[in-house]
Amino acid sequence: MDDVLIAPDIDYLAVAPMIIVGVTAVVGVLVEAFAPRRPRRGIQLVLTFGALIAAFVVLISQAGTRVITGSLAIDGPSLVLQGLILLIAIVSAMLMAERRVDPAGDAFSPRASALPGSEEERVLSTRGFMQTEVWPLMLFAVVGMMLFTAANDLLVMFIALEIMSLPLYLLAGMSRRRRLLSQEAALKYFILGAFSSAFFIFGAAMLYGFSGTISLPGIADALSANPGQTPLIFIGFGLVVIGLLFKVGAVPFHQWVPDVYQGSPSAVTAFMAAAVKVAAFGALLRFLYVAFGGARWDWQPALWIIAIATMLVGSILAITQTDIKRMLAYSSIAQAGFILVGVIAVNPEGVAAVMFYLAAYGFATLGAFAVISLVRQDGGEATHLSNWAGLGKRSPVLALSMSLFMLSFAGIPLTSGFIGKFTVFEAAILADAVPLVIVGVIASIIAAFFYVRVIVLMFFTEPAEVGPTVVLPSVFTTLVLAISVAVTVILGVFPQPVLDLVEQANVFLR
Amino acid sequence: MIGTGAVVAQTAPLLAPLNAATGIFQYIWVLIALPLAGAIILLTTGSLLKRWGHIIGVATVGVSAILGIIMLLEMMGRSADDRAFGQTAFTWVFAGQFDVDVAFQLDQLSMVFVLLITIVGTLIHIYSIGYMAHDPDRKRFFGFLNLFIAAMLLLVLADNYLLLYVGWEGVGLASYLLIGFWQYKNSAAAAAKKAFVINRVGDVGLSLAIMLMFVTFGSVTFSSVFANAGEASDSTLTWIGLLLLLAAAGKSAQFPLQAWLLDAMEGPTPVSALIHAATMVTAGVYLIVRSNAIYDRTVFAATAVVVVGVITMIIGAIIGSAKDDIKKALAGSTMSQIGYMVLAAGLGPIGYVFAIFHLLTHGVFKANLFLSAGSVMHGMNNGVNMRRFGALRAAMIITFGAFTAGYLAIIGIPPFSGFYSKDKIIHAAFEQSNIVGIAGVLAAGITGFYMTRMIVMTFFGKARWEDDAHPHESPPVMTIPLIILGFGSAFTGMALVYWGDIETWLTPVTGLEERELAIPTVVLEMLTLATVLVGVGVAIWIYRRSVPIEPPQKVSVLTVAARQNMFDDAINDVVAVRPTWYTARFLVWFDNRAVDGFVNGLAAAVGGVSGRLRRIQTGFTRTYALVMVIGVLAVLTALGLVMLP
Amino acid sequence: MTEIGTGEAIVFWVCAVLSVTGALGLILSRRTVHSALWLALTMISLAVLYIANAAPFLGMVQIIVYTGAVMMLFLFVLMVVGVDSADSLVETLRGQRVAAILLAVGFGVLLTAGLGSALSGIPMAGLDAANAEYGGNVEGIARLLFSDYIIAFEIVAALLITAALGALVLTHRERWRPKLTQADLMRQRIASGAPGPLPTPGVFARHNAVDTPALLPDGTLAEQSVPAPLRARGDLRPVDIGAVEETRALTEGEAVFGPTVTPVADDPGASPGERS
Repeated sequence: MDDVLIAPDIDYLAVAPMIIVGVTAVVGVLVEAFAPRRPRRGIQLVLTFGALIAAFVVLISQAGTRVITGSLAIDGPSLVLQGLILLIAIVSAMLMAERRVDPAGDAFSPRASALPGSEEERVLSTRGFMQTEVWPLMLFAVVGMMLFTAANDLLVMFIALEIMSLPLYLLAGMSRRRRLLSQEAALKYFILGAFSSAFFIFGAAMLYGFSGTISLPGIADALSANPGQTPLIFIGFGLVVIGLLFKVGAVPFHQWVPDVYQGSPSAVTAFMAAAVKVAAFGALLRFLYVAFGGARWDWQPALWIIAIATMLVGSILAITQTDIKRMLAYSSIAQAGFILVGVIAVNPEGVAAVMFYLAAYGFATLGAFAVISLVRQDGGEATHLSNWAGLGKRSPVLALSMSLFMLSFAGIPLTSGFIGKFTVFEAAILADAVPLVIVGVIASIIAAFFYVRVIVLMFFTEPAEVGPTVVLPSVFTTLVLAISVAVTVILGVFPQPVLDLVEQANVFLR
Repeated sequence: MIGTGAVVAQTAPLLAPLNAATGIFQYIWVLIALPLAGAIILLTTGSLLKRWGHIIGVATVGVSAILGIIMLLEMMGRSADDRAFGQTAFTWVFAGQFDVDVAFQLDQLSMVFVLLITIVGTLIHIYSIGYMAHDPDRKRFFGFLNLFIAAMLLLVLADNYLLLYVGWEGVGLASYLLIGFWQYKNSAAAAAKKAFVINRVGDVGLSLAIMLMFVTFGSVTFSSVFANAGEASDSTLTWIGLLLLLAAAGKSAQFPLQAWLLDAMEGPTPVSALIHAATMVTAGVYLIVRSNAIYDRTVFAATAVVVVGVITMIIGAIIGSAKDDIKKALAGSTMSQIGYMVLAAGLGPIGYVFAIFHLLTHGVFKANLFLSAGSVMHGMNNGVNMRRFGALRAAMIITFGAFTAGYLAIIGIPPFSGFYSKDKIIHAAFEQSNIVGIAGVLAAGITGFYMTRMIVMTFFGKARWEDDAHPHESPPVMTIPLIILGFGSAFTGMALVYWGDIETWLTPVTGLEERELAIPTVVLEMLTLATVLVGVGVAIWIYRRSVPIEPPQKVSVLTVAARQNMFDDAINDVVAVRPTWYTARFLVWFDNRAVDGFVNGLAAAVGGVSGRLRRIQTGFTRTYALVMVIGVLAVLTALGLVMLP
Repeated sequence: MTEIGTGEAIVFWVCAVLSVTGALGLILSRRTVHSALWLALTMISLAVLYIANAAPFLGMVQIIVYTGAVMMLFLFVLMVVGVDSADSLVETLRGQRVAAILLAVGFGVLLTAGLGSALSGIPMAGLDAANAEYGGNVEGIARLLFSDYIIAFEIVAALLITAALGALVLTHRERWRPKLTQADLMRQRIASGAPGPLPTPGVFARHNAVDTPALLPDGTLAEQSVPAPLRARGDLRPVDIGAVEETRALTEGEAVFGPTVTPVADDPGASPGERS
């Protein structure tokens, strides 16, 4: 009765990367509160990059860890995905740090609280004010993502989901240009995100009602111990999966994606598109494999339909888009469909393939949005596709990089996207999902059409009289482009080391 | 399929393991690397090297050609079972049960392709120096050409289907870039798009075939697929065969995917000569012949190949007879000739060798014909309408000579190239089935007709030139390749039969079978020749007098159909393009319905801030939520149906 | 223990009906304040249910946090924005409402049927055993919170900091121009041409409500006397014409003073043109 509470045993070394990023985020908040305005940006940059790199180094040093500690599972997939999230975060932080492409400053509003179009906003902008809170916010999002991939129970998964989402809702609304669009995007994202979170937590409650536990292995045990069918299982499972599918942007939970991707600042969109997908697919994999791996025959049909719908709707709708960010948003929906094909396989090959695909897609996305952030007109980004006509003439290197990313999205050989698609389809074939693969191939053929259209626009159309300018970026965006191009090519031509890596790390701890 | 005669000789393909690449064969990769390096240099350096770009382009391909010739000589010095070499560059993908290397295979079949691609490629590169002399983007053009050569070499040197697919996509991309090279022409951009879309249909076939092979054989290398082909079920093999045929039809402009080739003539003429006559369009034939181990085991797929070949052979010839655009007429002819090759490839071991043989001779004489046509256009202000040519033989005597050599070769007058290769195919067709044989003879007759029509309208008769036309011979940089190709058109066939012994050379890869034929070979040759001469005679009789400048309107139904590319565009439009477009439109409409409804209803309010804010609060987010709930219900219902007993 | 007592049953049915009513009221009421109050009803009913189910800690937290803190904050904000502000409830999308109702009913039916069939016939476990294990409800929760759910408990910190930071980012405005001194303010006021204070609302009017504009001595309305938020919303109380006439009669011939005098648009009697 009055026995001493024994402190839970947590392997702090294993979770050190998350602690580093999280503590730094808190320090960042304190910096905002106490540091004078001038050096804040510098301090935040040092903190952000320092924390992300330090976390990555610690993560590498922990590469062999396979441990369940508290409600977290630090195993192969979570380590790989956390590493990927950190790398993507480092690269997107570079994109967010870019200050040269916009004549007025960085990509964010000088003050998110200022009314759009007000005098205050204008004055602050000309005086070079910046909202440096974006850095701690971004770090919090990274913590949430890392937790999301490691969460071994539904409660931590839910909190991680919220930690990840909340900063993104905010960041989405903080664009310097076209602020109304940005704020609208943020509010939509927030409302619909909250809606989907409600489904998630509702489902978690149902699963708790069924199994008496919220831990994923516990649910799996309850399922195998009690194979009798009760509606609690499928309602709970369905609602939790819907919450996760919303985050990856699967059809029919996809409608927020185009609006949000279009409205957010490009740097945030890149981060969102690349990193959220990694985290959400990590959580989805863990939930499906650890808790419901044994019941796969029951849920595979429903997810088949979702995967097919996602691939087709994303690909077909992208064809008629006229805004490049919107087009990439639909493309990301289609890509989510391709990744789902690997998820549905429920075999180790599927896990490895999904992780590889996420890496390939993530870096190509970062690169593509980096290019978008450089094509500008009247200060803002020129996102209408017609503005991209003849870009190949004006800036061949940029246009070639963009073409490379588009070819990778389309899955053309010798780019990372091809290997990604192939491994995903291979895993699906091993799981006897041949029809899914056929639909996938057809969808990727459809998708190739609009990717190549961008290339055609850039190289085969005469530039408009008053076209956009391609601004010369600082070292930050240049690095982002170089890294993205390098990863896209290397993962396409010499993918073996990464394939080996994901293959060694394709088993979930239970 | 019913054979008409007993088998008199049969040689199975040799499935010997590949030799390790030693000596000169260590440098197989250099064949590809050189043009690739050229392409990278030409495409990534800006205005630098602008004056020397074409030299780099020609030099890299030329050195590859020389290397190829050295390899050929070395290979000829070895015994027949010692001529195939394999070289692994590195392991490309090794995931799970899936293992693919970047590895090359140089055997007798790839060797002849390497020579065709590099030698004809070099000549066309040289020709392009003159042809593109005034184009500000000449350097980029050479970059794309080099990219094409590299991809095409990769296609024929790959030792597995996946790497072949890389080359396949690469040539498609290069072809696409080159068709649309003159981007200021809207028609060129449209043609490029059409080529791309139709080729993607073919690519679906190839990628699905590769998937199916992987599922069936656990590997996609040629050696293990062919070695294990016997163990797969008939239906699997048939599916693989049909999917590969779909791929081949897309790339080689075969029925029903032939539509893009005519439009592809919007590209510069050297491109038409290199890609759309000599090399890329024959990749389909290469694919079928290379996969002979599969087609030998599936009668259904092989028959389908023959049917596709026959249909295209006839359609192409008819289209070629009705076009007034010299390049489009030649494109129709290309379709028809590739139809011959596909037909031959579908005949099995009787025909593989002759498909490749005709492919080689055709590659030379069709390149010659295209370059001659290009030379004519060069002298006629880039005009292509044959009704505005005429009497050009005096003005451009070298071009006329070269064109005549190509003409005699394609209609198959002995001893020009086409005689040897086409007669072999017709002979093989009769060995298999009389109907196919007769179709081959018929197509030969139509070939005689349209080629005669072409040469008469262009070089003979009265001058019907445009007012500002001043026909003149092209510069030596263009005529020298023409002369070489002219001699090639004349003698390649003979050389390959008597000196190269192409049958024996290719047999280890493809196998060979001969059947007894009721009709003696000489009679058959005479019959074919007579049919051709009838075609020639009819053409001369029709076009002997003046050719009207405006195309006559009172023509037969067949001519109308042929002018409309056999209504292919219309059919494509109805069958493929429109449904896709409508689907996309419908989905957009569905997705935007709320948006549109909102915009129309509250158009007045949208302008100001308040409008925007109201739009956020009571706008269409709720519709998104509605769709989500529909999804939730659907997912839960689906799960419930599966999970609850 | 596994049976439901009569008292508990009564409590359940009363609170269940109240909480559902509150939830419906929350959705259906036009005024935000009403919605907030309905929500408070739901929260309190739920708290009663928790306590009745032997979970006193949860019940108290529900009351303190939701009803006490969150709801009060809500109401606070609503008071500042304006109590009787009502959103336009006109539905502009055809079929949206019908579809939403149908889907909501469908979802409800699915859940009710599912849960009903899943839970019927399952014995009640109750919280007594769990509460007894560590000597009480609060102790038990504390133990769980600091052992099994320690990670969840810790990482919620990140969520809360993010929320606070987000609120700051979206609302906080640092000073971006130099602070005005008293001298500056004075200069501004003089320069504005109306150095005196504005009339307060209700002055000379028949009402002294905050939304009733002051009547100036010449009988015109001083709209500026009404607080700006109310003006922006158009919440000006209409002024009785008779009262205006009466005032004008009283002050005939007096000089005009005060800041800009704006007549109410739909009150021609107050227009300066007719005055002389």
